[in-house]
Amino acid sequence: MKLTVTQENLNRALQVVGRVASGKTPLPILNNILFRASNNRLFLAATNLELAITQHVGSKIEKEGSITVPAKLMSEFVSNLPKDNVELETDGTKMQIICGAYKSTINGMAPDEFPELPAIEEKQTITLPLADFKRAIQQTSVVASADDTRPILTGIFCHTHDGDLFFAGTDGYRLAERKLAKTTQQISAVIPVSTLSDVLRVMNDDMSEAKLVFDDNQVRILLDDIEVTSRLIDGQFPNYRELIPKSSDSTVELPRDEFTRITKVASLFARESGGSVTLNASQDGGKINIHSVASQLGENTSEAEASVSADGQVTLNSRYLLEALNCIDSKQIVFRFSGKLAPCVLTASGESPNYQHIIMPLKS
Amino acid sequence: MKNALWQTVLGEIELSVSRASFITWFKNTELLQQNEDEITIGVPNVFAKQQFEVKFNHQIAEILKRNGVKASRINYVINSQQNKKTATRSTSVSGNPASPASLADAMPPVSQPKASSRANSLNPKYTFETFIVGSSNDLAYTACMAVAKDPGTKYNPLFLYGGVGLGKTHLMQAVGNEIAKRDPSTRVLYTSTEAFVNDFLDCMRYKRKWDASRYRNVDVLIIDDMQFIAGKERTQEEFFHTFNALHQANKQIIISSDKPPKAIPTLEERLRSRFEWGMSIDIQSPDFETRCAILQTKAQLGGFTLSRETVEYLATIIQTNIRELEGGLNQLLAFCEMRGTDPDLQTAQGLLGNTRTTRPHHLTPKQVIEKTAKHFQLEPNDITSPKRDKHIVVPRQIAMYLLRSELHLSFPKIANELGRKDHTTAIHSVEKIEKSIKLDYIIRQQITDIRDKLYV
Repeated sequence: MKLTVTQENLNRALQVVGRVASGKTPLPILNNILFRASNNRLFLAATNLELAITQHVGSKIEKEGSITVPAKLMSEFVSNLPKDNVELETDGTKMQIICGAYKSTINGMAPDEFPELPAIEEKQTITLPLADFKRAIQQTSVVASADDTRPILTGIFCHTHDGDLFFAGTDGYRLAERKLAKTTQQISAVIPVSTLSDVLRVMNDDMSEAKLVFDDNQVRILLDDIEVTSRLIDGQFPNYRELIPKSSDSTVELPRDEFTRITKVASLFARESGGSVTLNASQDGGKINIHSVASQLGENTSEAEASVSADGQVTLNSRYLLEALNCIDSKQIVFRFSGKLAPCVLTASGESPNYQHIIMPLKS
Repeated sequence: MKNALWQTVLGEIELSVSRASFITWFKNTELLQQNEDEITIGVPNVFAKQQFEVKFNHQIAEILKRNGVKASRINYVINSQQNKKTATRSTSVSGNPASPASLADAMPPVSQPKASSRANSLNPKYTFETFIVGSSNDLAYTACMAVAKDPGTKYNPLFLYGGVGLGKTHLMQAVGNEIAKRDPSTRVLYTSTEAFVNDFLDCMRYKRKWDASRYRNVDVLIIDDMQFIAGKERTQEEFFHTFNALHQANKQIIISSDKPPKAIPTLEERLRSRFEWGMSIDIQSPDFETRCAILQTKAQLGGFTLSRETVEYLATIIQTNIRELEGGLNQLLAFCEMRGTDPDLQTAQGLLGNTRTTRPHHLTPKQVIEKTAKHFQLEPNDITSPKRDKHIVVPRQIAMYLLRSELHLSFPKIANELGRKDHTTAIHSVEKIEKSIKLDYIIRQQITDIRDKLYV
């Protein structure tokens, strides 16, 4: 293999692909990145057997061939090179890298041991605007569980319902659902949150859309010349729709900034009690107040004007509440609840908002 | 179940690929189906599937051919069953003092493969019905019944301890079986400490992620032979977390060990105190009546009737260990079945009399004193000397007790053996030890240990 590529392109590709080669498996070659030069393109790939990231890089190929080299050393070396052309040339399992006055030889491994990258059947495909896709991941992965004892909740449920595509996540205490695009296909897949956070990482502003390809066991996400292929989480996602309350006793509407501010203030006094804050809505005064007590430090009550449909009180974890407020892109928030035990719903105001966030109250 | 053919294939492949790649690719594979000319192999994930199809297919086909299997096609399918097993419903444990009501509680149950009751590795043979209750184990029995009725609420953890072959495992498994019977959806896991330790060590050795869910994802955890955790610090730490997770979620934990928590060496303090948190119960050697009852029940289960003399004879010659007791009985029954004779006293005496002499004739008072002294790291002279140091007095009393109980010496003779003039000393000592045995676990344990040594 012999080729020339710009340092910028190579560095960008190594940053994208390299992180996956983490070496958490016993197979040494998984610490390596695969370089393959063919058809006038350089192809880089790395995998940890949960997901694989590949990228094509434009380059001038003189001689086709392939090799694998240690990801960490290679990407650190290339990131320190000047912005110039980089020449790569292999000799057996060694790769020589020349860039201006820098020259090094890295010992690699033969590419035959490198795992075959999974092929995917194009069973369902859907193309999403990148901004929507990105926001949907952020809005749902915040609530996904980190607890491996329930693997299904460590994923985002990407599915179609009545002709719409939805993303949903839950950790058993809260739940977030985002409606995305109309589609005629039937999709039902649980994508690991770890994969989606890697996808967020490789996104950049030049990209305009993301294409998702599903088959029964895997998903491939295409972002320009980057491909992320991941296993799906096996199992059935909880039937969460039945949990979302259709109607609530009290509906409170107020500006998001106000709501965020009083919650933040209250959370300062809630550190001792595991973030527990109590919300009080009163219809007469048109007010909502948040109350929190720290036995050592003192206590706090903050108030904001709001339109309130009925009086009520509920105790929530302030961290969950803040994270929920962060996920809603609207100036006005609608907060619905029914008593101390039923789930609370947060949405943007207006007709049929595309995002709902559900939080279970704290047992107090 | 691993298929023999697939084992052969694995065996050959293991020789030709590196250890790491063998573990990465071939672990959790199995032969699912074998037809005329088609073979289906289950692999754990898409990466493995691709790897098999492209890289190993040729090699596997060749090995199959060499073993006389002509397969024109080998299919690889993703066998997600293993994953599903771990994906069962569980309870999340939140560290928050005020934990939110769980959505999961409100969630309608999702249709999921119900964990089969056989997956809990309980032996259905062990039930409360087949457990013989006597004065030595009735407390343990009652506590276990209470736990089985109301798991997680009454005695948590339940810690059973006692010597080998006294029924700890039987009782624990009986609790598990009873709970599973009352509510088949309860997830009961029975495991030995050794399996837990090995599981944990394997994960560390192969740098796999420790799958805590297997142990935390249950309603009742029964763990046998806890003494083996001694000295294994990392495992103790992991077990500590598992213990906490379960205990916080009000899941029942049942532990057995051959020693009380206090007496397990190098057991971390925080674990020890947790073990003592619920209820610790001692199972003692069965008394004569219990042994007779056990023999009669076991014989009946086997379809035999034993005469009272035979039962009493067996119960007399085998005193401490129920496992040995059953062994003796089985030996007798098997012998009689082969010969077509009745298991009567004479057969029993002829069969077991020579191997298990009631009192070994070669045991002399001198040996008893020597072995007792040795157990306490004293010289035999110390025991027979007139010294009254505390560390000598108790061993001396134990020696007297053993002379009485094992050799049936008269009190004056005992006094004589120990260089005492007055036989009332001997009477007092024997009585004192008899009393201590009932109250003091350490003394009891020591005497059992010395007694074992006497008959080696």
